Amino acid sequence: MPEVVALRTVGQSIVAVYAIWLRELKRALRDRGQLIGGVSRPLLWVLILGIGLNPYFRGEVYGEVRFVVPYTYLQFIFPAVVALNMMYTAVQSAISVIWDREFGFLREVLVAPVPRGAVLLGKVFGGTTVALFHGALVLVLARFADVSLSPAKIVSGLGVMLLLGFALTSVGVVIANRLQSFQGFGVFANLIILPLYFLSSSIFPLDPALTRAQTVVRYPEWLVHAIEFNPMTYAVDSLRGIFIGFNQFDPRIGPIVLAAMSVVFFALAWRDFRRL
Amino acid sequence: MTAVVEVEGVTKRYGRTVALDDVSLEVRSNELLALLGPNGAGKTTLIHILCTLYVPDEGRARIAGVDVVRRPLDARRNLGVVFQEPSLDDRLTVLENLDFHGMVYGVSARDRRDRIKELLELVELTRWRDHQVRALSMGMKRRLEIARALVHDSRLLILDEPTVGLDAQSRERIWAYLHGLRSWRDITLIVTTHYIHEVESCDRVCIIDQGKVRAIDTVDGLKSAYGREQLRLVPHDVAVAREIEEQYAGALISSDGEVVLEVEDDAFVAGVLSKYGERLLSMTRVRPSLESVFLALTGRELRDAEADRRDTLLAFGKRGGEHTR
Repeated sequence: MPEVVALRTVGQSIVAVYAIWLRELKRALRDRGQLIGGVSRPLLWVLILGIGLNPYFRGEVYGEVRFVVPYTYLQFIFPAVVALNMMYTAVQSAISVIWDREFGFLREVLVAPVPRGAVLLGKVFGGTTVALFHGALVLVLARFADVSLSPAKIVSGLGVMLLLGFALTSVGVVIANRLQSFQGFGVFANLIILPLYFLSSSIFPLDPALTRAQTVVRYPEWLVHAIEFNPMTYAVDSLRGIFIGFNQFDPRIGPIVLAAMSVVFFALAWRDFRRL
Repeated sequence: MTAVVEVEGVTKRYGRTVALDDVSLEVRSNELLALLGPNGAGKTTLIHILCTLYVPDEGRARIAGVDVVRRPLDARRNLGVVFQEPSLDDRLTVLENLDFHGMVYGVSARDRRDRIKELLELVELTRWRDHQVRALSMGMKRRLEIARALVHDSRLLILDEPTVGLDAQSRERIWAYLHGLRSWRDITLIVTTHYIHEVESCDRVCIIDQGKVRAIDTVDGLKSAYGREQLRLVPHDVAVAREIEEQYAGALISSDGEVVLEVEDDAFVAGVLSKYGERLLSMTRVRPSLESVFLALTGRELRDAEADRRDTLLAFGKRGGEHTR
């Protein structure tokens, strides 16, 4: 009976997705380096860089000043640090794909009687969960950044973070499938994470005119275009809208861009996995 | 006896290299079949086709009647595999590795618990249950992989060079476990190896060289069909070796300087002894062995056939090449 067989395959696939997801989680929790990075990174960015640059963000303190960006620097970069922390975990999942391939574990999964799609789904769900956890670590620092989080903000924030985690992990898997050998973490960090992060309007607003007095200043066009082209810009914007109520783009764009990224890159990753 | 594995006319090419050339063989239920051949003979390619990792260019293969190309998922259900390179997760414990395997193969929680307990005892790893795999020795890892391949109650177990990279003692233990397995329950085993002495205890031996099946039979059958009595001579110097080589047709100088002759009869041995006796360091008369079978079938000694590739690989690994940890 083909229906029964199909049902059994679906049931078995769900268990397999769970098993692979669980493995990713266990590995992430046992990887001290990753945990230390996940905690120290937000501390550096929020407590040191954020506090350090805070006074320079709003130049004029005399007279009546109307700010274009009515937030402190700490508040401004806080949502971006959430995104940054999640980008690093996505790289970790990409590296875990490479390790599995090079050190043999991938074979164990590939000869198991589960469809390749289930293998990929487990992997991406695992990465998403870890990314979500690392993003949530940053939220703990909210009160130091003077960001007030209501339960509603947290829920919708986690929703966007879930999408972001899924999209980033899929991107990571796609990149990993295209790398012939393991080049190390530094290459990843310098060639992918930091450019994407700096070009996402994370550490400076698109409009440099923080106050009326500065409206004459403009950024060069190439920079603005690069930022507008970078999908991370919309993810950061979306998180910023939720956490501190400041959007530079239409707030609906963020989730749409993230959903599109998730679909496109997951599909690409799936195509790669079927060829393995 | 029914066939568990049927391979018919399988050919596999990588670009211009022909890895498998029209290979056909049958593995019978509950037998222990050894695939013997030098590195690069095509053993691993054949294994990968059976595991559904590679698709053959021509021919077909079935496991328990299931076609591996058309129904890969069903074929994999009946199959336990131990690959040449370890495929365990270092950061998971012994138990977690086994449990993961059981889950992915759809084994119920209760069966998992019972079987894992039993299997851990079988491979004597119960004490290491909760240790992370990276704390285990190579031999222990290999045993764990054998146990893992049985968690889903597979009736066919394929092991690709299970003893490579292990010391002599661990190698013997692995074989002891494999034989123990057969007395424990019904199971069909396919084991590839390039160590000739390991296959003496197998039910049948399939000799593969350069992508072709040269012979498949019991050890005794092979010896009586292809085996020759050999005379192994260690001469004083190379000049003597050359002289003997010229004197006797079919003489062969092996890589370590031994001269191997086929024995025709006692008079032949006496002849060699009287002629070269004082210029030899040693002379050994060897009963028909699998070495001589391999020589007769391929025109080479197995250990010579394997030398180059393996040595380059080892040297590569020692340099800290690409993926060595």
